Amino acid sequence: MSTTELDPVFAAALRETLVATVEDTPRVRRRWRWRLGPGIFAGLTLVAGGVALAAGVFSPPGAPLDTPLGVAVTATHTGSATIDLGPRPAGATDVSLTLTCLTPGTFDFPDGSSTRCNTVDLSQPPITRTSSEVVPLSPGIDTVTIDTSANASWTLQALYVNRVTTPWGINANGKTYGVTNQNGTPDLIAVVIDQGKTQGYVEASELNCASGGDPKSIAQALAWSAQNRHISIPVYESNGTTVIGTFVIGGATGPNIPTVPLSSLSLHC
Amino acid sequence: MVRSNTDEPAAWAAALGNDGDAFAAIFDLHRDRVYHHALRMTANVHDAEDVTAATFLELWRRRKSVRVVDGSVLPWLIVTATNLARNLARGLRRYQALILALPRAQDVRSAEDIALERIEEMRIAAQVREALSALAPSDAALISLTLFEHYSPAQAAVALGISDGAARTRLHRARTRMATNIEALATADRDDTTKEKSR
Repeated sequence: MSTTELDPVFAAALRETLVATVEDTPRVRRRWRWRLGPGIFAGLTLVAGGVALAAGVFSPPGAPLDTPLGVAVTATHTGSATIDLGPRPAGATDVSLTLTCLTPGTFDFPDGSSTRCNTVDLSQPPITRTSSEVVPLSPGIDTVTIDTSANASWTLQALYVNRVTTPWGINANGKTYGVTNQNGTPDLIAVVIDQGKTQGYVEASELNCASGGDPKSIAQALAWSAQNRHISIPVYESNGTTVIGTFVIGGATGPNIPTVPLSSLSLHC
Repeated sequence: MVRSNTDEPAAWAAALGNDGDAFAAIFDLHRDRVYHHALRMTANVHDAEDVTAATFLELWRRRKSVRVVDGSVLPWLIVTATNLARNLARGLRRYQALILALPRAQDVRSAEDIALERIEEMRIAAQVREALSALAPSDAALISLTLFEHYSPAQAAVALGISDGAARTRLHRARTRMATNIEALATADRDDTTKEKSR
């Protein structure tokens, strides 16, 4: 093999990984939402000391509130199939779908989103190859269709729910607080710190800044990623002024990673 | 399939819309140039492969801030590969598990084998690499883009987010420094060879 050519085995595997990474990006975000609940910021890496909010543990303003109705229907299929959800209970607005892939493949949900499993995913525990969607019900339709290739196997659990999106809170300074939802991001985003013992809020603008902001040039982006550090931002009560802790952001790993407060850095974001 | 650079802007636009095949087409188009550049920077087949993989993963991760020069992402890839190769451990940490899991052909020869075959070529390559590593990171990227990848100083300036004038000034300074470094390394090499011969 010539050293001036990229190893074809490596190149083919890398190519496949890139395709999966690109096409999986929406799925990854959906997974996070499902596993960690609303309030998480896409692309943010959280480290010890601060965990994202789990729905149901602490229900802040803006969170969707799902009330299960009836009994879950579970079905396992190979290839595309339509699942009958049974009679719709009174008050049902949405159906909660949880799909676990049993073989590699791409599985299309009724709302147009899709999830993709590869051989690496299948070697992981079931929770990491499970995707969940809450899909609004269409009038008169009590079935769910999953589209996939003929040899792809999957298990689906479906449950009728009543979904209500609670409104964000507004504090005395007129700032909205709560979790990110279909209406956007509030001024103060709900977080949980101290292993779930403290509930509070971070400023959306500070969180964005501490996560790298919006780099204006390659030089800026490179300089940011070269910084091997964690950045801490204050956690407030819903009034946005009383500090009750700190939230640490950063993807750096290794021994002795410094944590620096955002306020000590002169970042323009 | 992207057959030429003229198809690249459309492919990049499609890739940004989560089209995996379009992103793969960009990979097909630039993977050899990125790999050759990584080999130049690392002189180690495995490291060059790792840098190539991390460069394309970074292209996706940082897709929203990638600077496209004359319709191409290649200058950005070269800058990123330069920086990743300069600090392998830190640059690859994010993707380490993923890259290690990628299969490789069994008959990859070691750097030593290659070195034995191409000893003079390798000696020169090593001098270039050492001289590059002695430059500031942005100057190393500037030299890589203009000297090895034949971009104009104006195009390199766009890739690095600096003015044309600043690029030209820095390029002049970096070239002089690079030449001095290579001359010093070549002299040191000659001295070593002479000593060995006289033993």
